[in-house]
Amino acid sequence: MALKIEKSFDVGQPVEKVWAFLSDPRKVATCVPGAQITDQVDEKTYKGTIKVKVGPSVTDYNGEVQIVRLDPQNHEIEILGKGQDVRGRGSASMKMTGKLRVLDNGGTEVTSVSEIGVVGILAQMGSRVITEVSNVMFGEFVKRFQAQLQQPADAGESPAASADVQPIKATTVAWAAAKGLFREKS
Amino acid sequence: MIHKTSPEVGGMGHSIKRKEDLRFIQGKGNYVDDVHLPGMVYGQLVRSPYAHARLKSVNTDKAKKLPGVLAVITGEDLAKANLAWMPTLSYDKQMVLATGKVLFQSQEVAFVVAEDRYIAADAAELVEVEYEELPVLVDPHKALDPDAPLLREDREQKNNHIFHWEVGDRQATEQVFEKAPVKASVHAFFPRCHPAPLETCGCVADFNRATGRLTVYMTSQAPHVHRTVFALVGGIPENNIRVVSPDIGGGFGNKVPVYPGYVCAIVASLTLGLPVKWIETRSENLQSTGFARDYHMTAEIAADRDGKMQALRVKTLADHGAFNAAAQPTKFPAGLFSICTGSYEYPNAFCEVDGVYTNKAPGGIAYRCSFRVTEAAYLIERVVDVLALELKMDPAELRRKNFIPAAKFPYKSSLGWTYDSGNYEAAMNLALEKIGYRQLRAEQAEKRKKGELMGIGISSFTEIVGAGPAHTFDILGIKMFDSCEIRVHPTGKAMARMGTKSQGQGHETTYAQIVAQELGIPAADVTIEEGDTDTAPYGLGTYASRSTPTSGAATAMAARKIRAKAKKIAAYLLECNENDLEWEPGKFYVKGTPSKAKTIQEIAFAAYTNIPPGLEAGLEAVDYYDPPNLTFPFGTYVCVVDIDKGTGEVKVRRFVAVDDCGNIINPMIVEGQIHGGLTEGLGIAFMQQIDYDESGNVQGGSFMDYLLPTAVETPHWETAKTCTPSPHHPFGAKGVGESPNVGSPAAFVNAVVDALSHLGVKHIDMPITPAKVWKVLQEKGVAA
Amino acid sequence: MAKTAEQLVRVTVNGRERQASVEPRLLLVHFIREVLQLTGTHVGCDTSHCGACTVLLNGKTVKSCTMFAVQADGGELLTVEGLSANGQLHPLQEGFKEEHGLQCGFCTPGMLMSSYALLRNNPRPSEEEIRWGISGNLCRCTGYQNIVSAVRYAAAKMANDKTAPVEMAEVGGTR
Repeated sequence: MALKIEKSFDVGQPVEKVWAFLSDPRKVATCVPGAQITDQVDEKTYKGTIKVKVGPSVTDYNGEVQIVRLDPQNHEIEILGKGQDVRGRGSASMKMTGKLRVLDNGGTEVTSVSEIGVVGILAQMGSRVITEVSNVMFGEFVKRFQAQLQQPADAGESPAASADVQPIKATTVAWAAAKGLFREKS
Repeated sequence: MIHKTSPEVGGMGHSIKRKEDLRFIQGKGNYVDDVHLPGMVYGQLVRSPYAHARLKSVNTDKAKKLPGVLAVITGEDLAKANLAWMPTLSYDKQMVLATGKVLFQSQEVAFVVAEDRYIAADAAELVEVEYEELPVLVDPHKALDPDAPLLREDREQKNNHIFHWEVGDRQATEQVFEKAPVKASVHAFFPRCHPAPLETCGCVADFNRATGRLTVYMTSQAPHVHRTVFALVGGIPENNIRVVSPDIGGGFGNKVPVYPGYVCAIVASLTLGLPVKWIETRSENLQSTGFARDYHMTAEIAADRDGKMQALRVKTLADHGAFNAAAQPTKFPAGLFSICTGSYEYPNAFCEVDGVYTNKAPGGIAYRCSFRVTEAAYLIERVVDVLALELKMDPAELRRKNFIPAAKFPYKSSLGWTYDSGNYEAAMNLALEKIGYRQLRAEQAEKRKKGELMGIGISSFTEIVGAGPAHTFDILGIKMFDSCEIRVHPTGKAMARMGTKSQGQGHETTYAQIVAQELGIPAADVTIEEGDTDTAPYGLGTYASRSTPTSGAATAMAARKIRAKAKKIAAYLLECNENDLEWEPGKFYVKGTPSKAKTIQEIAFAAYTNIPPGLEAGLEAVDYYDPPNLTFPFGTYVCVVDIDKGTGEVKVRRFVAVDDCGNIINPMIVEGQIHGGLTEGLGIAFMQQIDYDESGNVQGGSFMDYLLPTAVETPHWETAKTCTPSPHHPFGAKGVGESPNVGSPAAFVNAVVDALSHLGVKHIDMPITPAKVWKVLQEKGVAA
Repeated sequence: MAKTAEQLVRVTVNGRERQASVEPRLLLVHFIREVLQLTGTHVGCDTSHCGACTVLLNGKTVKSCTMFAVQADGGELLTVEGLSANGQLHPLQEGFKEEHGLQCGFCTPGMLMSSYALLRNNPRPSEEEIRWGISGNLCRCTGYQNIVSAVRYAAAKMANDKTAPVEMAEVGGTR
């Protein structure tokens, strides 16, 4: 099951500051709900985990994140993440391209295009659930990303984000998925 | 000669109400999940989320520690007892629990046993499995590519090719095609679908340590065959195994194979000495049990300019999933697909089928298919319509021109089948008359002028059922005879047991009616039993519409043996010669003196109280019937559809089904079968597909996506009959359970294509969803 | 994963008071089938589509596979076992037999309960209304046509026969 999701959002910070944050997987991981970087294998590869909770259902993925391409000139980054469910219930992979653009007001627009592949029982639900879960998680990501970047530059180590994983409300997802059936474009 | 019995006796032709209904309407059916034994525990399977992966490890520690869990069985555990693999009904083998690798999403990996089903579910969640993903193969067309992933490393042959099968004369057929003035062809895909009986599969395996006997209550359409398989696979003496098929909530072929769940439950019971219940969920049923169809077919017809067909050429790619578990007779890897010449005379024909493995659930033969006859009938009726379009000929007229004439039966087809009897033109004429064909064509012409879309689809199918004669038919070596044992009691009531097993077909009533017909004992006085291997005579079970042709015949033959003995007793009681006696249902009387008579009840009493010297006591008989041939039910279905140009929705306005199944035992029951099968055909044609994405994820793995028709989508079915008895069957019957599923998909598809043919549409693959039709309307520029 | 503390559930089932201590997550259908041992109600799917589990709770049809037993506490349940009174079949049951409205019988209890509720709310339904009324109950065997006839039969009988049981007044039900 392959899904393509495009999102963009604005950050009220200069592009170099945003780039410094975006090009560091450790920092980005702090914004992804339930994610943790556990180890750095080499300069491009990291090991990590992510815990996804939808209602009472919890899935823990164990995997790897790799920086495939880093272009500081054009502020473009491509990363590849792959993980397997620790209990053997499936796997997921994500290829994400992130691009920054300078805005007239001095801020930065962040555009991301993600291709998500899911194998396992979740994939049987089809794009309905996966799209909505991704939307909810992305919404949370944007909030944290923006919040982190408001902090002073020398604030030190970023706190781990996975300490308190709020479960995504299953009803929210279900309602959004049902509405999605009738929307023209999600 | 078939005597007419009175309604009180209820023999052939009477629509007597069903004897089995009383318990079902009061909620007193006894289905497998209703079986409750003291000390019973529950099993649940852990299944693979991956379509193709190495199995690195299975960690059962956490699961085993959960309070209430009695056992967790893995493939490694089974391998120690040589049970990790089991034979399939197609001479392949299948993993019971995975070892080494997994080959389809939802494949069985471990089995947990716990005190109740909720704890079992909790425990299943605690089993930790480590996989290493492998490249996935879901497109059967790529299965034979040199760089295709190799699925079955356990086989000697290192590729994904299962079999190549051909029949007919390739060369002669080719020569005709080379010279033919007219050719028509179609590439028709029959999608993977699933029978989805309302009751899922399951069992209660009960090994009694004290007696050494294993009893398995299971959803089985073939209890004796399953008993023999368990004996051979499990090494348990066959006299110590009892298989009981109680009431079954629908089969449709889904309950013929042996599933890993059954084997795991048996192993668990043997290990624990407790009854173990395993009932699968609906999702498990759709994702792992015997699917149906998945045939990619190409048919070509070579014909003369006036429409006389000269040759048929068929090539098929069969997607069998990860294991070849299709339930079919040994000599026929593609089942009875070579009936694809259908109702027509083809002087030349050639058919070839190649089977391949893919990373999908195993199976193929199910869903009322008569061993692939559904695929064959669909293909021929579609390609005939394509030819009609090519020739600009009316599809009914093209059929009429090419039907095997009634006078030519028994008819030997160029693919080797000897059709027993048929009168295709009469059936078609009746169907066309009932639907008002000429007026409909006129209406269609008018509607086309106004841009409205309406179509008429015809399907004149020929079926082949009742497998089958011992010289050609066996399953795993067991010949496909069937059986009946009848006992008449002193007070004139009777009990009969057969080797078949009803899953709703009404055997408790119809078999009693056969006995009533042959012996004149009222059907109400005859108790019918099936499904308990301790008491029923050996049989091959109920599927492929074989019960009436085989066990039904055996019932008649056994009854006739009883009648022969009864005649001797009657002669003794009436103090005359046997040759002086005449029979009418229920009594023997002296020729010319009808008042000098003995009823069957009086004879039965005498069999125990006044036995003629030299004769054994009792009045009973057994018959094992080897049918001399298969039977060939047939019919014509006509479907009228209207298409909504805005939504692409297809509405079935009318559907007339004319069936010919020879002599009918119970018309009410036959009609019920037709309604049910047509409704399944409707689902297949318009709603159903089990599809897989490129990663091998099942799409259509639950009722959210796999749609069944409800009472709202289902139209009103109009039925009628012609009657062309089978010349070789004891009472001229043919069997009919599958005809509606065989004949209807082509009728539906032909109707939709007919509605759009004036726009240049030649074929649309099933399922014909509104989205598909809407796309066509857009392409042709006629969408509203 | 410790077992959650059990709760007492008290229900009147087919006119008879029953009670049991159950886990809060026990589904109503399992409560009916395994605790009350009324196996007429069936499980046919895991997505609430098939309707084989249909029963009446406090006079309304519910899919008992999609409810917890604790949600039925204090309520009145009617299952297929409660349709006949004193050994006499309900007109619906009679109709299913007379009109051949069943083959394998697995959907039948759910169909009977849905039809029962339908006729109670609409004693003279048209064919279209019957088909809508049973659209939450799947059948694989009959194609629905004879089920429609069976409901029609019952409606006619109940309209003519004032003594036919329409409501479950007395304790009925074979057990």
